[in-house]
Amino acid sequence: MKLVRGLLSAAWLALISGFSCEALADLEDGKLKVFVSNYPLAYFAERIGGHRVAVSLPVPAGEDPAFWRPDPEAISRMQKADLIALNGADYEKWLNRVSLPRLKQVDTSAGFKAAYIRIENAVTHSHGPGGEHSHDGIAFTTWLDLAQAGKQAEALALGVIRKRPELKAVFLENLSGLQADLKVLDDELLKLGEAKKNQPLLGSHPVYQYLARRYGLNLKSVHWEPNEMPPAAEWVALDETLIRHPARTMIWEAQPSPEIAARLKEKGVSSAVLDPCAQRPEQGDFLSVMQANIANLESTP
Amino acid sequence: MRNDFYLAWRYLGFHKTRTLIIVTCLSLIAILPVALHFLLNEGNRQMTTRAAATPLLIGARGSALDLTLNALFFGAVSPSITLVEADKVTATGWADALPIYSRLRVLGQPLVGVTLDYFDYRGLRVAQGQMLAMLGECVLGAAAAEALKLKPGDSLPTPPESLFDLAGNYPLKLRVAGVLARTHTPDDQAIFIDLQTAWVIDGIGHGHAEQKNLPERSAGPFGFAEINRAADGKLPTYTEITADNIDSFHFHGDPGGFPISAVIALPHDRKSATLLRGRYVDQGEKIQIVQPQENLRGLLDNIFRVGALFDGLLAVVGGVTSLALGLVFALSLRLRQGEIRTNTLLGCGRLMVARLLAAELVLLLLVSGGLCLVLLEAIRRYAGDIVRYALIS
Repeated sequence: MKLVRGLLSAAWLALISGFSCEALADLEDGKLKVFVSNYPLAYFAERIGGHRVAVSLPVPAGEDPAFWRPDPEAISRMQKADLIALNGADYEKWLNRVSLPRLKQVDTSAGFKAAYIRIENAVTHSHGPGGEHSHDGIAFTTWLDLAQAGKQAEALALGVIRKRPELKAVFLENLSGLQADLKVLDDELLKLGEAKKNQPLLGSHPVYQYLARRYGLNLKSVHWEPNEMPPAAEWVALDETLIRHPARTMIWEAQPSPEIAARLKEKGVSSAVLDPCAQRPEQGDFLSVMQANIANLESTP
Repeated sequence: MRNDFYLAWRYLGFHKTRTLIIVTCLSLIAILPVALHFLLNEGNRQMTTRAAATPLLIGARGSALDLTLNALFFGAVSPSITLVEADKVTATGWADALPIYSRLRVLGQPLVGVTLDYFDYRGLRVAQGQMLAMLGECVLGAAAAEALKLKPGDSLPTPPESLFDLAGNYPLKLRVAGVLARTHTPDDQAIFIDLQTAWVIDGIGHGHAEQKNLPERSAGPFGFAEINRAADGKLPTYTEITADNIDSFHFHGDPGGFPISAVIALPHDRKSATLLRGRYVDQGEKIQIVQPQENLRGLLDNIFRVGALFDGLLAVVGGVTSLALGLVFALSLRLRQGEIRTNTLLGCGRLMVARLLAAELVLLLLVSGGLCLVLLEAIRRYAGDIVRYALIS
């Protein structure tokens, strides 16, 4: 009798566990597969979709999504996605060399195309993690203007709603929460911009155009990498720039090497990190990185 | 009775040529109208099915029929519109837009630029190899792969657009990524490329080669073109998009202004379809929206009218041929007077002679009927392919 009961219990447990695994698999399968081209969009998609979306950022950690190129395997995975969220503004330079379903794509910045900033006569630099690259064409870090980031989140939300219209109310509620958070940051930056309106600033890399425009920062950019000592000619050019544009702070995408920071310090220029957060941060999320950026910018002399 | 047929069979076998001519004539008289209707009905079925699956088409104003045939069957060439028309459809929120660019043919097969959505929409899946992934790739319809004897991994050069193309758009060497499963639709005949690859072939997109000292090569618009040294040292042959040069490829201008031949619009519901059609009522000068099913109905009505005319003609021809065969049979009786007399001398009565002749006639009709059935079965089996090759493509 005990043996029979034991066998029955085991069978029941096996059945239950099997069912649970299947249910979990179904749950995973039921998720909306969203591919994104950078971390801000991944964050927005996660906030909007919550547990109902499976967000995938195919760019390997440590690689700048702006200069990443998908391999055939990544393209194949993207083709199978439900939604492909693109930053637009010429961010995905690989887009016109690959085949992706048009109906699955959402260009999140298409709504403010007229507000794109065009970069003329950009210099091609052969240093940095991506090797030779240039920032010619359209400035692409659109989300650093947090009002634009809100619009991008909205475009993404509309794309998600189009795929799952039955969850429209949930997605819109999540979107309004996200937009409220972005609005708080935007207001803080506007105040900060007002306070630093006449203060010259230097950017280490030409990625802060939208930030400078939205928040009224008096910013000029060089094209330096935080972990590569710029050549002598660059330092000479910096000296010339400092005569016309006497900045006391250079903002960096990441902490510059101590040698570069020290050499800048000798010229009376301190360093502050303002991470565009294009790639998933090791700690925190988009909001916490932006809050840290605001704090760093506030503390600049 | 068996003896009558035996003698008749031997007689017909002895006069093979004459028998063959009579059987052929009888078979053709019987089969032509039936075969014609088979093919017309199959053509009607195929065209109607394809049109029914394509709710709305947007293209350049002009011949609505050319637009329909170009977008659905990759046959006629219609004037180009631009990609912005597809964007406009999407922007309405009433329909999904599938742009198509069908302008060129490669070795007799239509070269069709599409987006990946087209494959989902038409239910096309890859049977061998992989789906399009990179610029410069193509996937072949099953019939196109057979006709061109190509498989995944092979190359396919596109033709230079014109011998007099002084701009020097060289042919592009496409890489066959995959072969599609057979669908028994015009898609089987097509060579599909991504829209962006189509624009490269058009010369809108190109790559800049690095300026290296390559004495064996000559710069072309898509990188370095291999030199066909066997022919002429200055004649560039194929250019190819490779992993090494793909990053140099780019397009000039706004993609919205790039050419396409049509947009398949897939309205979300009936109301959306009506609203979308209303948008193009006042587009007098450039763009039109058409319903393929309605468009083809007129064409098919005309085809069936022609079919009815053919029926009449075939009835007349059949009647005349029957009379001619009757005459041949009557004349052959005169020629066979000696043979009939011999039969009489052998003891055959008049009735017996008549039975022998009737047996010959029955056998001729039976053989012709059998041949008709075989031919009709073959036509029925291959009607789809015959229609696609002969009528639609």
